[in-house]
Amino acid sequence: MAHHTLPATAETVHWGYFSKMLKPQLTIKSGDRVTIETITHHANDDHARMIAGDAAAEEIFHWTAEEKTIKRRGAGPEDGPYQHGSGEGLGVHLLTGPVEIEGAEPGDVLEVRIIDAYPRPSANPEYKGRFFGSNPSANWGFQYNDYLEEPKPREVVTIYELDMNEPTTVSAVYSYLWTPQTDPDGIEHPTIDYPGVRVDHETIEKKEGILSGVKVPARLHFGTMGVAPEEADFVSTIPPSYTGGNMDDWRIAKGARMFYPVAVPGALFSVGDAHASQGDSELSGTAIEISLTGEFEFILHKKADLPGTVMEGLNHPLLENDDIWSVYGFSVTNYLAELGPDHQYEILKSSSLDNAMRDAFRKLRRFLMTVHGLSEDEAISLMSVAADFGITQVVDANWGVHGSIRKNVFKCY
Amino acid sequence: MLLRTGLAFLPSQVQYKLTGASDAPVGTLDQGMNIRQFISESYPLDTRGNAWRDVLAALSLRSDAPGQDFDQFAAALIRGQAEGVLLGKLTATAQTLTPIPRKGRLPLVLMPLDETIDVTAETAGFPVAPGEAVVLPVDKAWEVVLHQNTNLAVFCLSETALHGQRFGLSPLTAPVTVAASGFGNVFLQSLRAAAAELDSLNDMEWQSVEQVIPDLFLTVVVSVSSSTADASANASQAALFSRLTLAIERRVAEADLSAGRIARQEGISERYLQKLFEQNGESFTHYLRERRLQHARMALVAPDELRIPVSEVAYSCGFTDAANFNRLFKERFGLPPGAFRTNHLKSLMEMANAEQRGWPVKALTDRKAKKRSAIGGAQADETELADIPDTDGTHHVLPANSRTVHWGYFSRSLRPVLEISSGDTVEVETLTQHSSDDPELFIKGDAAAEDVFYWDADRKNVDRRGAGPIDASIYGRGAGEGFGVHVCTGPIYVNEAEPGDVLEVRIDDMVPRPSGNPDYDGRYFGSSVAAWWGYQYGELLQEPKPRENIFIYEIFPDGDGSGFARAHYAYRWTPQKDPFGVSHKTYDYPGVPVDPATIERLSPVLSDISIPLRPHFGVIAVAPREADPVDSVPPAYFGGNIDNWRLGKGASVYLPVSVPGALLSIGDPHASQGDGEVAGTAIECSMTGRLTVIVHKKGGIFSDLTYPLIETPEEWVLTGFSHPNYLAEFGAKGQGEVYAKSSLDLAMKDAFRKTRRFLMSTHGLSEDEAIMLMSAGVDFGVTQVVDGNWGVHAIIRKSMFL
Repeated sequence: MAHHTLPATAETVHWGYFSKMLKPQLTIKSGDRVTIETITHHANDDHARMIAGDAAAEEIFHWTAEEKTIKRRGAGPEDGPYQHGSGEGLGVHLLTGPVEIEGAEPGDVLEVRIIDAYPRPSANPEYKGRFFGSNPSANWGFQYNDYLEEPKPREVVTIYELDMNEPTTVSAVYSYLWTPQTDPDGIEHPTIDYPGVRVDHETIEKKEGILSGVKVPARLHFGTMGVAPEEADFVSTIPPSYTGGNMDDWRIAKGARMFYPVAVPGALFSVGDAHASQGDSELSGTAIEISLTGEFEFILHKKADLPGTVMEGLNHPLLENDDIWSVYGFSVTNYLAELGPDHQYEILKSSSLDNAMRDAFRKLRRFLMTVHGLSEDEAISLMSVAADFGITQVVDANWGVHGSIRKNVFKCY
Repeated sequence: MLLRTGLAFLPSQVQYKLTGASDAPVGTLDQGMNIRQFISESYPLDTRGNAWRDVLAALSLRSDAPGQDFDQFAAALIRGQAEGVLLGKLTATAQTLTPIPRKGRLPLVLMPLDETIDVTAETAGFPVAPGEAVVLPVDKAWEVVLHQNTNLAVFCLSETALHGQRFGLSPLTAPVTVAASGFGNVFLQSLRAAAAELDSLNDMEWQSVEQVIPDLFLTVVVSVSSSTADASANASQAALFSRLTLAIERRVAEADLSAGRIARQEGISERYLQKLFEQNGESFTHYLRERRLQHARMALVAPDELRIPVSEVAYSCGFTDAANFNRLFKERFGLPPGAFRTNHLKSLMEMANAEQRGWPVKALTDRKAKKRSAIGGAQADETELADIPDTDGTHHVLPANSRTVHWGYFSRSLRPVLEISSGDTVEVETLTQHSSDDPELFIKGDAAAEDVFYWDADRKNVDRRGAGPIDASIYGRGAGEGFGVHVCTGPIYVNEAEPGDVLEVRIDDMVPRPSGNPDYDGRYFGSSVAAWWGYQYGELLQEPKPRENIFIYEIFPDGDGSGFARAHYAYRWTPQKDPFGVSHKTYDYPGVPVDPATIERLSPVLSDISIPLRPHFGVIAVAPREADPVDSVPPAYFGGNIDNWRLGKGASVYLPVSVPGALLSIGDPHASQGDGEVAGTAIECSMTGRLTVIVHKKGGIFSDLTYPLIETPEEWVLTGFSHPNYLAEFGAKGQGEVYAKSSLDLAMKDAFRKTRRFLMSTHGLSEDEAIMLMSAGVDFGVTQVVDGNWGVHAIIRKSMFL
């Protein structure tokens, strides 16, 4: 087993899309471990706390009228004229990778074990060694068309600090109402419609003392993790799908093992969108977005070896940790295949918890029948009395419901 | 179409079965519409390929994809019925499709939506690009090759759907392309749009699509299948013929309708009209008679016209002689018209009886007009206050017996069986309504259960079960019609409670009730039914479909309320005849004793599986204010069938009081349940609880509470519903409508709004703070998708607040 390191740099990140065309940043063998840095795409919500002094972050986010280090952000068009910018923000997550796994072929399953995850400290001498994250209540949030108070609608960004002393918690530092921001290319962003636009703190009004006395227990996890899909060359990072991606389940944390069906040769694994904490539903559109470094172990399971394991017949992401297995239902199971060439736009109109619940029910039934050898009737009775269905997220276009079954239900575990 | 709309009061599955003339549904029914949805993810690898083949077969297609080890992604959405119009959308990977020859099938239309497909026939091959379509005769040999993952719209129809119009269809000998220009484009655009909106159209809208697309199709096929020279001539003939048939449809009631009249109306000669019909393979006279008979057949079973005598039906369809009509009808349909109607009514009753939950909306509307009917059962002026020992004035014991329980409903006019004061404790026995699933284990030797479940040919101790009519005049299932199923103990009158107050019910302890049968001395059992109201019922994978299963569990509690359950045995529901002689084909009425001689026990089941216990009460309710009585199944603002397993030992539920004394009822005890309760029930197990009941007067911290709020030592659990107050929202029709209109999307919205309000009013947060906190630290989960009014809950951890 080899141990590799993949730092986040302008060369090793891609922004807002998955792509089978990307050149691997690292090639590893099954069984290898990799320490991977990730940087949150919301770092520019507070440049002073999350970027300043951090050479890698400064370079990645560098954007002047003359120079933009990472031009393409999203799976949209790369050629102007732009509505929002190159890539059009059709996909927002800053991902590190891809990591190529030697010998991985379509039909195989890639297991990714999260060995550890820890936050990236602020490099600004003023905040040295402290950890900050951002939680925008954004225009794609569940609340956006359902506000009580004026102004309606609005976007509000809250900056949080993570306290790593046990018990680890997150507390709000201040918040501000999003004001139209003009990027260095002169495009105005009246809402949060393009990632990495530096918020000019001269234009905002900070509100201190918010959520006083509230400490949210930390749940360090990676919101977006997965392998490259086969169906299209550039795929938005926003809707999760059969190859994983923006799953936004806080259980994808230290101790979890994720299984992804490999869709392209080499698998091409990317990770990012780290969160300090998130509730089931990710209601306002984002979690507490933070930069984390993770240590991962990669195990390739060849197609021929899958029968008789939990991966038999798997064609969607599966989570395993010490306590549970979870399957993920989506509004549209495989939107890339089902929704045709306009899938990136069609999926935005297809959000439905009812469909996601249906999908989760079907996937869990199949899992219990295939992997645990239950009859259909046994699987259904067991699901009713012992499986828990929860709402993963209602903000990533392809909404999610997860179905979990506890391992201690089975005698063999 | 009169028939369809007239049946609106029946569940649409039933409408569908009744109107699908040949009873050949394409497959499972989703959301009440005749939609079949397929997705490969549902199926274990070894059955996936066959399931995919079944889907294709419904469209007369065959695939070369392997039946075994089919590990490709595939999806389909098909609407319609085999003997009519079928419209679908397929997602399929690279494979080759060929036809399954079928009689009475018209050509099939395949329209690639995103990738080019290749069509090969005997004579020639050609590609079909996205946006074009190919018309494929099903009785000829051809191949359609998909080179990669492709989305397709597909359309086919049977001859019967065309009312006899097949003008110009016969000559199609090979596949032909419909190009995206001219009229062809109109057809293609309509087809594409209809395929995209398949599952969002309601039944009425779908009916329009069912008419329009075949009409367009007909014209398109005529134009593409004819040689260029006479194409337009044929198309105009087809249009004329179509007008003629429509004229006939409108005038069937005219007894003296003749070819001459129709010809005059359309401005053509009678001879030309006759010729057009002959070209189409039948005489005018024969065609007219067939249409009259079809109209009569529909009219005979139209629900609004069931009382119209057969002779009048005959007359209204243009028949002048009743005897002649009877003879013709019998020749055509195998039964004389009277018998046909009787048969139909019988099957209608059976089907409706089998799978209708709650009040039919139409029955509720009728009921409104009538005088309020008596509730029956334990009504105020009929029942004595039960004799309850009150130990020291603040602790009470409420045993379960036929006088202290009410079954399947809540009511503000029930006489209380116990009167207590705020702060008092009550030991309350509850019995599961599923005790009758195995009377030997659950009832025998247990005096209370024997009393409550007693039922012989003459009498049952608890007659009313459900909020339906006491005379079972809707479906004949039994008193109360099973519109509500839970055995509830109570109601308890709480002295200080007034409308506007909040009642706290704290569960200090709860223990399962041991079997009273000496053979099972000291053992505990529960039952879980995968019932027709379960989430799985419309989409089972394995045969027989559909089916209901009962799993009997043995419970192994340990001292501190935890422990586990194991499956004891299982059986498939078989029709059970209750002691009054009513047969229950499905689990449609609670407390019907299952005769062990009629079932086949399956054991072992779920071997090596043990389920951690989560003992809780499924039902805790105060009496609702809007209606009386109220079906116990859909939960709402008054509590009721909350089915959240967090409402167990150590938890409290806060309920807004609607009537003086609150009228608290408890029941539906569960040994364990998962979030979702997908099969329709939990592990239903009789239990006894010790409760503390506290009145919080109006104006306290819960002053704006309008829903059941659960508190556990660590969490607040807020309950969101599809329809938070369905009784008010839908008015008199609420108890029917709530079953038809449930959705997790609505329940999520409700849970979000309630949580925002709770954080703002109880914790003093601003709206923005509340929303941030919900995103970062509140967990939303699926409570249940089986209780009519679906639930999503929000969990707020108390540890977040200093």
